[in-house]
Amino acid sequence: MELLPLLTALLLAHAAACVAWMAVSRRRRSRCYLLDYACHKPSDDRKVTTETAGAVIERNKRLGLGEYRFLLKVIVNSGIGEHTYCPRNVLEGREEMPTHVDALEEMDDFFSDAVAAVLRRTGVAPRDVDVVVLNVGSFSPSPSLVSRIVRRFGMREDVAAYNLSGMGCSAGLVAVDLARNIMLNRPRTMALVVTSESCAPNWYTGTDKSMMLGNCLFRSGGAAALLTNDPAFRCRAKMELRCLVRANIAAHDDAHAAAVHREDADGRLGVSLSKALPKAAVRAFTDNLQRLAPRILPAGELARFAARLLLRKLFFRRKQQVLPASGPKINFKTGVDHFCLHPGGTAVIEAVKKSLGLTAHDVEPARMTLHRWGNTSASSLWYVLNYMEAKRRLKRGDRVLMVTFGSGFKCNSCYWEVVRDLDDAGAWEDCIDDYPPETLVNPYMDKFGWVNDVQGQGGGFVF
Amino acid sequence: MSSDLSVNHVDDRSLACASKEPCGPPTCVDNSFARSHLAALNPPRSLPPVPKPHALSLAEQSSHTPQSTLLPATVLYRTASMSSSAAQAQLKQLKPLYQHVVNNFVAVFAAPLVVAALVNAARVGPEELLVRVQALRAVHVFLIAFVPAAAATLYLMLRPRSVYLVDYACFRTRPNCRVPFATFLEHAKLVTFVEGASIDERSVRFMTRLLERSGLGEETCLPPAHHYIPPYRNMEASRAEVEVVIFSAIDDLLAKTGISASSIDILIVNCSLFAPIPSFTDMIIHRYKMRKDIRNVHLSGMGCSAGLISVGLARNFLQVAPRGARALVVSTETITPNYYVGKERAMLLPNCLFRMGGAAVLLSTSRANARFRLARVVRTLTGAQDSAYRCVFQEEDAEGHRGINLNKDLMTIAGDALKANITAIGPLVLPASEQLLFALSFIARRVLNRRVKPYLPDFRTAFEHFCIHAGGRAVIDELQRSLGLSDEDVEASRMALHRFGNTSSSSVWYELAYIEAKGRMRKGDRVWMIGFGSGFKCNSAAWECIAPPRSAEGPWEESICRYPVDIPEPSQVRAHEIDPSIDLYLGLTSACGAVRPRPDRWLCAGRAGLTHGHLHTYSRSSRGPLHRRIVYLCLFTLSFVYYPFVPAAPLIIHFCIRLKANEMYYCELNPSLHIALYYLY
Repeated sequence: MELLPLLTALLLAHAAACVAWMAVSRRRRSRCYLLDYACHKPSDDRKVTTETAGAVIERNKRLGLGEYRFLLKVIVNSGIGEHTYCPRNVLEGREEMPTHVDALEEMDDFFSDAVAAVLRRTGVAPRDVDVVVLNVGSFSPSPSLVSRIVRRFGMREDVAAYNLSGMGCSAGLVAVDLARNIMLNRPRTMALVVTSESCAPNWYTGTDKSMMLGNCLFRSGGAAALLTNDPAFRCRAKMELRCLVRANIAAHDDAHAAAVHREDADGRLGVSLSKALPKAAVRAFTDNLQRLAPRILPAGELARFAARLLLRKLFFRRKQQVLPASGPKINFKTGVDHFCLHPGGTAVIEAVKKSLGLTAHDVEPARMTLHRWGNTSASSLWYVLNYMEAKRRLKRGDRVLMVTFGSGFKCNSCYWEVVRDLDDAGAWEDCIDDYPPETLVNPYMDKFGWVNDVQGQGGGFVF
Repeated sequence: MSSDLSVNHVDDRSLACASKEPCGPPTCVDNSFARSHLAALNPPRSLPPVPKPHALSLAEQSSHTPQSTLLPATVLYRTASMSSSAAQAQLKQLKPLYQHVVNNFVAVFAAPLVVAALVNAARVGPEELLVRVQALRAVHVFLIAFVPAAAATLYLMLRPRSVYLVDYACFRTRPNCRVPFATFLEHAKLVTFVEGASIDERSVRFMTRLLERSGLGEETCLPPAHHYIPPYRNMEASRAEVEVVIFSAIDDLLAKTGISASSIDILIVNCSLFAPIPSFTDMIIHRYKMRKDIRNVHLSGMGCSAGLISVGLARNFLQVAPRGARALVVSTETITPNYYVGKERAMLLPNCLFRMGGAAVLLSTSRANARFRLARVVRTLTGAQDSAYRCVFQEEDAEGHRGINLNKDLMTIAGDALKANITAIGPLVLPASEQLLFALSFIARRVLNRRVKPYLPDFRTAFEHFCIHAGGRAVIDELQRSLGLSDEDVEASRMALHRFGNTSSSSVWYELAYIEAKGRMRKGDRVWMIGFGSGFKCNSAAWECIAPPRSAEGPWEESICRYPVDIPEPSQVRAHEIDPSIDLYLGLTSACGAVRPRPDRWLCAGRAGLTHGHLHTYSRSSRGPLHRRIVYLCLFTLSFVYYPFVPAAPLIIHFCIRLKANEMYYCELNPSLHIALYYLY
């Protein structure tokens, strides 16, 4: 009867091993790795130089002197450089009547460049992709663009494809969140996240100032990323996703109306950006950080912050004084090495820089991205990341915080850890040495500055 | 097959005769009964004609004595069928037995073992057993008790969480948005005069014929913006439609379930062709003041099958959310911006088919108050093939009018997508008997080099109710044909198409509402939802009913008493005379014609001596389970009296017990039973 106790012990050991293995595999499955990503670099003939932009503006006979001055002011202050890209139909002078085919061609250019590149570089066959998540803010044809990807690359029949639209500039991280959620339910999943914005059908040709802003800021671009939870890819992965926080303050009226797709008084469609936008961004950002900070910051910093807050409250209560507006600040640099901010515009970058207490070095990637590529909406994050990588800033163990803002109003953020030293220049390859340039001032003022000297307010004033 | 026909045929005749009996006029209001009655009076053309006097004489016989009721069946059976088909018929009769054995394989296998163990125990005697029990050591007890318990606990802890449907609500169309055919066509005619629209007189004629064949009724609704001339297609009007549809559906849902909007953790909306900024999800959050940390996703461009994709996505989110989390799924289609004003025929079709509609569904991981359990979601996307991708395609016509082009190959492509989908879902839902047959036929096909016809599994063994996307008449016909479904099974789809039109991704929810409004949903029933959509996608979801609806309110509240309606078959001859090109599109709207009245099952009961009066009272009394049971008992006794054949009794008892909710079941099974019993006799 020596055998039975032995058997029992063996069985118990086996059971314990099983439980441990399950726990480990569950933990492994909850990991999410960024295998690789590729940013879209449109062909050079799509570049918008000062002359091209001038021609496009001049073409629009509805604009008067007042609008010219407004546009000049916006462009000069926008932080956008000479090398951004716009869709072909605008260059060809058809921005007033964009066709369905124009929009599809713009997307096709992107698919055949970035999506193909990311698959090629990682060596992942299209048939190995289990999940495809695509988001393009303001263009949703039927069949969806994600079906177009499936057709173009010949993916499997049971691929889980999702097409997101209308989620604004922060949709890049919504797509990542969606992919990560699916991965939590499926072991060894390969997810392709495709992010872009369609500019071709959304060029505003009217004279509403709040809607003309979009034309000055938004440019063509896109990015594709491969995410996986397969532990086998761990050594090849670039980064690992630690946490992702989403905040949506659409319940607030002003924030909801900050960016709206609507028609102007003449019935021309465009995205109107209201004056309340920066305020909404700050509000959403605060909500987001409240939930994000406890998850990513070291306990010491949190304790310091809590203690100071408490002290201050006690102190001021005793003296019966009104609390001053600026309270103690959390030092995010204790938990984050690189800040990957959405380059929505110089104002947004400045606001975030100020509220987080960042240096010029921290926001350099975002500024440079805005200068080189413009605001490419949801995909701009990946350009910023690529800049850091091209500058060889990302070392093993570094922590990267991504923050995006978008219509709705949403603020999404996620926190990555770099798995290995990165040095892939990607889309920045041929221009990384020129950045940062000595000055970010663009030559619009030199060329069109005379608009400010011309007398009159003139509607109907034509060059 | 021929034997089957002959049996049905007999059924038809004898019902026709039986209905002439003075058995009391059917005072019923039950439409299904009235329809079947009418259908029986007008037998379908596809059946071979039978000399009328003969049928009459048969009927006379049948009305005289119970014994002679068997005669017509056998007479015709013998004359009409060949020996091979007789063998097939016998095989068919054996099938229930086979299914019973295979599906309860464990029980069948375990029962003899248990019996053997008991016999053994009895032989050993109680004292000896007691001694053996006392001889057990702690180790044994541990092994016997603890290890299985631990295994069971582990399994329960680690299995994926179930997702439940708490409730759903469909947008109730409003009378002021109604577009009868006449209104629609008059409006279209007036649009021809609008500047910029190239729609012309011919297009209107074409749409007239399409509408006649579409299977749509006179009560479908278009958004208010489409009632203007020219129809408004701007952002503002589109937003107005969205607000009317989704907010009223969500209001209904929240009122029904009594939960507050702030307790919703996940929000998923799908709308194919309209994706404004801010998105629908933001509009909903804004309106209902939902929480800041809500996870929202707006799916667009995913076509008519996106409703099930949203459900699958909500399941994914719920399974990793904290227990008890709630997800709100809203499916709709905004048609305001998509009115096509060109004259491309393939693109005019959506104008005729798509109508206003939307549904809001509340899912949760908690079983409390849940009404359905989500069993499976299976998606297929055949977009890798070019033809499938282009089959439903949004584009601009030669004159620059944007519209949706429905390809003529739609049915073939839908068929392929369906095949891929049922291959995926079949093994997950079908009972063992069907799977075994399918596997055998598959092996046979491989071995015998494709000379054997592939076995088409009978999905009616896996599901009680079918919600097929009401994409159009042809889609429903094709599915009915390829899955071997009865008219009863696809009734919900046809009626939803008739009452609400093609409401895109929300149509499956209107169909579910129909089934529930008809009072057909019972606890434990399984429902299969199938959606088709651009891409080309075929998605399906399997649900299991936990509780039937608590109240009768819903989108069908006012009109359910008029349904099911008979959908007339349009005269195709006229169409050919007018315009030969209509042929091309017949495939889309009226391939197989109207609801074909199936030789009715009441009839078998009529042959068994039950008059319509009986059945009528029976069908009306079938509300409560007690009534039903009493009626089953009566039916059972009757058939038992008919066939004083003892060996068959267990079989009959078995079927009577298995009747479950479906009141038709008994009658359906009976013809084969009659014949089998007759042979045995």
